[in-house]
Amino acid sequence: MLTEKGLWTRLRTRLIFTGPTLFAFATVMIIPFLYGIYLTFTNWDGIAVDQNFVGWDNYIGVFKDTVFWKSFGMTLEYVFITVVLTNAVAFLLAYAVTRGMKAQGWFRAGFFLPNLVGGIVLGFIWQFIFNQVLVFAGQKMNLTLFSTSWLADPDKAFWALIVVTVWQYAGYMMVIYIAGLMNVPKDVMEAASIDGASNRKMLARIVLPLMVPSFIVCIFLSLQRGFMVYDLNVSLTSGGPFKSTEMVSMHVYEQAFLARDYGLGQAEAFVLFILVAAITLLQVYFSKKLEVEA
Amino acid sequence: MKREQRWMKLSVLSLSLIMMLVLSACGSKAAMESNSSSEGSSSESVKITLLNSKSEINSQLEQAAKDFHAENPNVTLEIVPVGSGQSPFEKASALYASGSPTTMMMLDTGDVEKFKDRVLDLTSESWVKDAVENSTAATTFDGKNYAFPFSIEGYGFIYNQNVLDQAVGGTFDPKSVQTTAQLDELFQKIAATGKSPLIVSPMDWSLGAHYLGLAYGGQSPDRAKVDQFITDLKAGQVDLSSNAVFNGLIDTFDLMKTYNIDKASPLSGTYERGPEVLGKGEVGIWFQGNWAWPQISSFDTADGKYGFLPVPVSNNPDDFGNTQISAAVSKRILLDKEKSTPAQQEAAKKFLEWIVYNEKGQDFLVNQASIIPAFSNITLEPTDPLGKSISEYIKAGKIEESMSTLPADHWSKLGASMQKYLADVIDRAGLASEIQAYWSNVK
Repeated sequence: MLTEKGLWTRLRTRLIFTGPTLFAFATVMIIPFLYGIYLTFTNWDGIAVDQNFVGWDNYIGVFKDTVFWKSFGMTLEYVFITVVLTNAVAFLLAYAVTRGMKAQGWFRAGFFLPNLVGGIVLGFIWQFIFNQVLVFAGQKMNLTLFSTSWLADPDKAFWALIVVTVWQYAGYMMVIYIAGLMNVPKDVMEAASIDGASNRKMLARIVLPLMVPSFIVCIFLSLQRGFMVYDLNVSLTSGGPFKSTEMVSMHVYEQAFLARDYGLGQAEAFVLFILVAAITLLQVYFSKKLEVEA
Repeated sequence: MKREQRWMKLSVLSLSLIMMLVLSACGSKAAMESNSSSEGSSSESVKITLLNSKSEINSQLEQAAKDFHAENPNVTLEIVPVGSGQSPFEKASALYASGSPTTMMMLDTGDVEKFKDRVLDLTSESWVKDAVENSTAATTFDGKNYAFPFSIEGYGFIYNQNVLDQAVGGTFDPKSVQTTAQLDELFQKIAATGKSPLIVSPMDWSLGAHYLGLAYGGQSPDRAKVDQFITDLKAGQVDLSSNAVFNGLIDTFDLMKTYNIDKASPLSGTYERGPEVLGKGEVGIWFQGNWAWPQISSFDTADGKYGFLPVPVSNNPDDFGNTQISAAVSKRILLDKEKSTPAQQEAAKKFLEWIVYNEKGQDFLVNQASIIPAFSNITLEPTDPLGKSISEYIKAGKIEESMSTLPADHWSKLGASMQKYLADVIDRAGLASEIQAYWSNVK
């Protein structure tokens, strides 16, 4: 490539190789994104023939929408708990299935399996478990914790969402942690054990620091998935009981399509995009500083 | 070097050729389609589509499309179902956004106004004169009617005749319950037989759109006064806590809460549980509508004997609402005017006429799809007991028109408030203030 001379020749070569992809990227990502930003300045309802320009009204509306900020706050709480739990569980699972125990390949496959089920289906399956199976078991065995449906109580429904999320994503993150564990150099570990380091010390001083890149990836992924949770929210609790578990994505969707205020919904989506982008970028930036060389 | 350059030119040329082909293929296909249909005279074939938002009658509609095609060989009708869980409004607006709306769209009453700039004026269609009273009022704007009234649906207390016969010790007469006190008495009698009197299904749409809707529709038999009431609510001029109809309705709701089979955990019920316990005779009554018949019939133990009771709002049997069932035209068919060709529009109009005036069309509507028709010329009787019960109320003039043009998020937001009240999270004053707060924020 670098041998080619002249702007036109270079541009032409670029276009041949990246043109189709750029075209696809622009038509399905960039243009809709920009059009979406344009819509935030209108009062479009999703179907009307004309769109009236309303200036910054929708953004002012976002700050006035207390339900949006309430559900954003709840989403933050949900994200914090799921990120911690998912990664803790995933790391422990990964640690367990790389110890060389029997049938560990089967365990890996088993823990990964929930990821292969779509969020909607999974939500319905767990809805059945929370509403019927656990309640039945709880009543038969006199367990007060399970004798009424978790999904009928605001706090328990919130925890039901967390349980299912952790169950679903822990297996996925486990796979990344397994890769990270495998990459810890054997010679370093050997040297440490010859020097008389205990297992726990090796984990704390060698394994964990060397696995920081895996943690960055996993925390990034679970953060992003946590903020964008929608399918599970819809199918497991549908925001209920009485809107107490309505996460922010669902609120944005309802604002745009149910309340038929497309402009406001789009503005909320854009604000959400900026907030989530800022949080995830900060996470990656700060955790990069923890990385060490082997 | 030279050869390479030539090869490069060739590849650029061929690449752009492929791109052009792909792009033009997309365009020309559409152009060809519209060409063939715009030239379509009566002899040429026309393809029309119908967006179906009543998923339970999809197979019946497809059969109707075949029958219609058999009689009109030049018209092919294709049924496009709305995915379950998706709103018809959303699907229809997405189709418009992508530039490929269906010829006919089956939408809910409240959606029609939003689409009125994009659909045909149907005021001069022949079926308008046969449509039952008030069936086109909600879709008429500036004197123009934009929609075909497809089905009437109604709701109230569905009762299981077997259970109630047992409770009253004889044949239960639905006319014996016209006040809140009489309903209380009936509940007590059912409870005395060892069964649960009723089940309250906690879905937000049922509580918000249907039950709470009675508080508005029950204000007056005069629709203009109901509309005025809504306007006053928006303006914040209504004090619900002193409103007789609202209080009466919530009194009945308190009664329902007391005798609810799921009293211990009122929000854990699902829709599917309702038809099961009613059909099996574990409860006597379920607050729901005639659309629930297919589910009830699959659990039926009462030999198909079910009917509707009104939801009483006071202890005076003469008060409006105590002897009336809430019913209204629920689904409407609209005809697109933006992308459909005149031939397609004609064919679609023909299909609507076929439903109303053709024997096969009427058979499809009433017998196959179990729909209560909104046309007075159709003499066929609904075959299912719930449809029959509603038809009887309609014939007797005992109908309170359902609120079908509430704001789109009303059922969801105020359904949540009703759920809070059902679960004792808020009291009556709290419920009233949440309802008033919602209305004062409606744009």
